[in-house]
Amino acid sequence: MSAVDLKTFITGYLAEVEEHLRMAERNLLEAERVEAAGGSSARQVRALFRSMHTIKGLSAMVGVEPVVDLAHEMEAALRVADRSGTPLGGAVDLLVRGLRAVEARVRALASGEAVPPAPADLIDALAALGLDRLGAEVGDLGLPEDVRSRLGPGETQELAHGLARGRRAVRVDFVPNPSRAASGLNITAVRERLGRLGDLVKVIPMSVPRSPEAPVGLSFAVLMLTGAADAEIAEAAGMPLDAVSSLVGAQPAAAPAALPPPAEDEEEVELRGEVVRVPVARLDDVLDRLSVLVVSRSRIARAVAELASRGVDVGALSHVVQESTRHLRDLRAAIMRARMVSLAELLERVPLIVRGLSRTVGKEIKLDLDAGRAELDKAVGERLFPAVVHLVRNAVDHAIEPADERERAGKPRAGHIRVACHERGQSQLELQVIDDGRGIDQAALARRAGRDEPRDPEELLALLTEVGLSTRDQATTTSGRGVGMDIVKRVAVDQLGGELMVATERGRGTAFTIRVPLSLTIVDAFCFHSGERTYVVPMSMVDEIVELEPDRVHRPPALAGALVGLLDRRGEAIPVVDLEAWFARRPAGGGGRKAILVRRRGRPLAFTVDRMLGKQEVVVRPLEDPLVRVPGVSGTTDLGDGRPTLVLDFLALGGQVRAAQGGP
Amino acid sequence: MARILVVDDSQVMREMIIACLRGEEGLSFEQAGSGLEAIEMLSLGRYDLVVLDLNMPDIGGVEVVEFIRAQDQLGDLPILIVTTRGDDASRQQVMAAGATRYVTKPFNPEQIIGEVRGLLRSAQPAG
Repeated sequence: MSAVDLKTFITGYLAEVEEHLRMAERNLLEAERVEAAGGSSARQVRALFRSMHTIKGLSAMVGVEPVVDLAHEMEAALRVADRSGTPLGGAVDLLVRGLRAVEARVRALASGEAVPPAPADLIDALAALGLDRLGAEVGDLGLPEDVRSRLGPGETQELAHGLARGRRAVRVDFVPNPSRAASGLNITAVRERLGRLGDLVKVIPMSVPRSPEAPVGLSFAVLMLTGAADAEIAEAAGMPLDAVSSLVGAQPAAAPAALPPPAEDEEEVELRGEVVRVPVARLDDVLDRLSVLVVSRSRIARAVAELASRGVDVGALSHVVQESTRHLRDLRAAIMRARMVSLAELLERVPLIVRGLSRTVGKEIKLDLDAGRAELDKAVGERLFPAVVHLVRNAVDHAIEPADERERAGKPRAGHIRVACHERGQSQLELQVIDDGRGIDQAALARRAGRDEPRDPEELLALLTEVGLSTRDQATTTSGRGVGMDIVKRVAVDQLGGELMVATERGRGTAFTIRVPLSLTIVDAFCFHSGERTYVVPMSMVDEIVELEPDRVHRPPALAGALVGLLDRRGEAIPVVDLEAWFARRPAGGGGRKAILVRRRGRPLAFTVDRMLGKQEVVVRPLEDPLVRVPGVSGTTDLGDGRPTLVLDFLALGGQVRAAQGGP
Repeated sequence: MARILVVDDSQVMREMIIACLRGEEGLSFEQAGSGLEAIEMLSLGRYDLVVLDLNMPDIGGVEVVEFIRAQDQLGDLPILIVTTRGDDASRQQVMAAGATRYVTKPFNPEQIIGEVRGLLRSAQPAG
């Protein structure tokens, strides 16, 4: 007989519950936002109800009673709200508390701890919510009877609100048949495709007489709110044009004109595909094991070199070492690939976002998206995406002029935004958001910030990231969110250790460039001694290793801190930083005779080194979270002696040094 | 071979149900992730039994059962409902709409095997 232990599904359970919790959080916040704007949160309430129901059922199966209890109370409250069309109003706070409580218990389960019981006061408060006030009365929308009787109050309300905001209510009849099903055109696919063109309110299965057109006697009536053209809708459904019709003949006369159409923030579109979900921690674990292999490989290589130096014939042995080097490299690449997400997938939602934004602000935008074939680490991608969205938002909102203004300036009516990405070398991604809009009014920006007009792009960027790109007096719907360019900088530069650049020309447009590492992992690095310690620095950062000949290092009296001199090199005066003094390990000036030269934004900087030890491939272990790094230190590595060696980031250090000197 | 359609929006739940039944001989499984998908699959193909979740995002189990029972060729299809605590009202509704049996989460494997076996036996034409 089957001895099935349902507890073996715990990993799947955790993943699915986690997904529902995230969805529920988004829906809760979205419900709050929509209600605040005077709209109907029916859609979000229904989705919330669904999430809590699923969490409850799954938790019951794996026997996590505290979660069952919490989810049950939340579900019950939401069910009532859904059926009565009641807005959530002040209940949002309590529901957020509920989600947190569920989350805490699921996390406890995941880490093998005892799951605490559901807090009694929270259960009582949820039970007392009583979201059964009748929602706003919806007048007769003039819906056909076969549709009207199949809609719940929430769905009717959603339609009414959509119509009131000037959207079209459309009915699409999708008729399944074997050949459509065989070509993958089924109701699930159709629903997903139509979902990209608007909001699906309801899909109603209808029995129809069997005919050559409807061989199985089934038709689905898809009811949606949309701004898309009939032809586009028909094409998405794979049906002829006459399958699309307006659900409501005339729109209600008393449409409140004051309400703007909802910003179609389709950042929330779910991405699904044929994928296996693996916790990132598991991949990190594999990487860790690999790093041990890399270390022992270096030790073998060293031992072989030593044998060779004693005159032993190591031909066959070196061959094996070389082979294993190659295999380790391949293996590393394979593991890293597993952590990578394609940029095309990451940016898939950008067109939808631009579409929604441009409609909200009433501008015509032509988007040109070239994601290329680059892939980047999932953690990097997750941080990068909001920054890209912000840049695109700014372009739509501030940079692109209204069509008439563009026409007067001799430009095409539709604004052009280009989002382009490409890999720079093996390890860096360059992403640009370029618009052909009005360019940044630097004088106005400076006035607003009460500063001098920026003299170069770097100063402009500093100004932008300080005050936000809001040279217009009123915050607009799409970017008046208090999220400024400082966020973009924080993500690209501070979190991801990359660069942010800007170029702008009045009347012609603006280009923002972000450069970030594709991943943070194994690198070829220089090892060196400074003070009593060994450090490594990735070779990709190093411009040159230079001798500090005493007669070429000038020591002007104004020098302070760790800055110990200016190296005259081919006519260029290069600031020299005493690394140990910078780390406050010894007074400045005791530094070594060599220096590692790096260039940050084209400007050179030299760090003193006591002794170069050679180059080596190292596995960078990030300090805790790779994205919350100590500036100047990108992680640690093991050089084979079992002790952690710091991996330095001279570019970030250079930035700090310059900042300490009062420069940019 | 009896073809069973397992309908639930939760993938883990579908997998659990199938895991419970997999050891049984003579059963094959297909899955639908929504009520609409289930209706489409039932219209296009032939199944011997449906295991159906009550609450799903697009249309609920009640609507699915109502639709199934309105079809001539699906009038006798055995429908096993999977419900959760607190679904009592919907459960009564779905049974009234023509569902055959129900089990409540959490169920154990023996329970669901027993129900499925029983339903398939009684659906078999006499002789």
